[in-house]
Amino acid sequence: MNMLRHVCWWAVFIVAGIALQSVVPGLDAFAVGLILLLEDRDYRNLAWLLPVFIILQEGMGTGLFGSSVVWYTALVLLYKLGRWLFEVNNFFFVLLLSTWFGAAYFGIAWLMAPLQDVPGFDAQGTLDKSLIQALYVPVAWWLLAGLRRWVLPREA
Amino acid sequence: MRHEKGETRQEGGTSAARRTTEQPVTFRRLLLIAGTLLILFLGMFTWNQRTRALDDFAGMLGLEVTGTVLSFVHAVESGISETWDHYFDLVGVREENQRLKARLEELEARMMAAGEDLAELRRLRKLLELPVDEAWKPVGARVLAGRMGPNGLLDSITINRGYSTGGRPGTPVVTQLGLVGRVLRASPHSATVLLLTDPGSRIAVFSQEGRVSGILSGQGVHQHLEVRFAQLGTPVSPGEVLVTSGLDGKYPKGIPVARVISAEPSNYNQFLTIKAQPLVDLRNLEEVLLLESTGIVRPNLPSGPPPEFVGPPLPATAQPLP
Repeated sequence: MNMLRHVCWWAVFIVAGIALQSVVPGLDAFAVGLILLLEDRDYRNLAWLLPVFIILQEGMGTGLFGSSVVWYTALVLLYKLGRWLFEVNNFFFVLLLSTWFGAAYFGIAWLMAPLQDVPGFDAQGTLDKSLIQALYVPVAWWLLAGLRRWVLPREA
Repeated sequence: MRHEKGETRQEGGTSAARRTTEQPVTFRRLLLIAGTLLILFLGMFTWNQRTRALDDFAGMLGLEVTGTVLSFVHAVESGISETWDHYFDLVGVREENQRLKARLEELEARMMAAGEDLAELRRLRKLLELPVDEAWKPVGARVLAGRMGPNGLLDSITINRGYSTGGRPGTPVVTQLGLVGRVLRASPHSATVLLLTDPGSRIAVFSQEGRVSGILSGQGVHQHLEVRFAQLGTPVSPGEVLVTSGLDGKYPKGIPVARVISAEPSNYNQFLTIKAQPLVDLRNLEEVLLLESTGIVRPNLPSGPPPEFVGPPLPATAQPLP
């Protein structure tokens, strides 16, 4: 029952994430899910969800396979670094983390553009998207953390 | 007790000392792991670039799931929208019914009068009808989304047709107004279409009136298209329509693509600099047509007999000089 609840929660999360990504170009809606999983130290679900996130992002994207691997590795490392530095887990930490995510978004896009044979790197467009990503993370985290506490009370 | 305390201190001291001696080892281990991961990633990236195995796998699975989810979301969205509309329709249905009845009577009278015009229109359309090219079969598709996810680097859209339903990679995509792009990658029931505005898009075109040929390339979102390699001194005027030439073998000949905005001699090379604007509004696409290749090769031969040769006599038939 518990496992079923988890699977349903994450299935709905993925569907909502895909729908959101179809409306907001360039946004990674699954990044917040990764934060939630790392916060809960839910490594069992992380083990199957991380490949799912990567395959979905690579499938719906237009670049060569690899950018999402770097992106999610960077997110995990940034989260771990943040926890190691601050040893807190609250909204302000997520706010700080979101700015790092935004910077990482731009950095990875810039780094991967030559590897992906992208003819011209659109710095302005990427900057806009990284800002949207940075703004999205704290809002979505706040909403999802609350919703998760309500949907999965024992695990919260 | 003192003895215990001393032991504890000693233990603490030993663990601290161990930590200091372990730190370089941990750092070295971290570096080693990071290096190994980097090498593994670059190996995977290079292998995939050569074989496209992971791209195909992600396209097959990720794109298919995305397409299915988006089709489901669109169906739910349209269902809710229809229910909502029907509810509001019912509120004012009586008043609207009376209004429509009156309107229907008026339109019936008008239709009677317009019958003759309609017949004439049909005749004229028949006269203007172009020969159907059996090499391409049009298949309708719905646009599911625009550029998606952080890996959506190219200017693209996602459609609800895949390689098993008429959207194989390379298939040209059009609307009734003109060319949209071509299918870049496909899963069984979904596909990603590369738009003609993407900087990686190259289309062989010529101008409809002057027949000036060139290569149309995208310059990015909200940027004008550019025609390259158009010879200087050739007649291209603003407002002229550019159509596919079919010389690249990727698009059928004669599809309208863009309208010329400006044509000026280049300061850097011996070609014309032609700026153009797509005929299709690529930001507001809802439905598109895929031109699926039927495999029928259209003979590129003239229908009549070859024209009579006009020119100097051939060497074999040349008369000896007197």
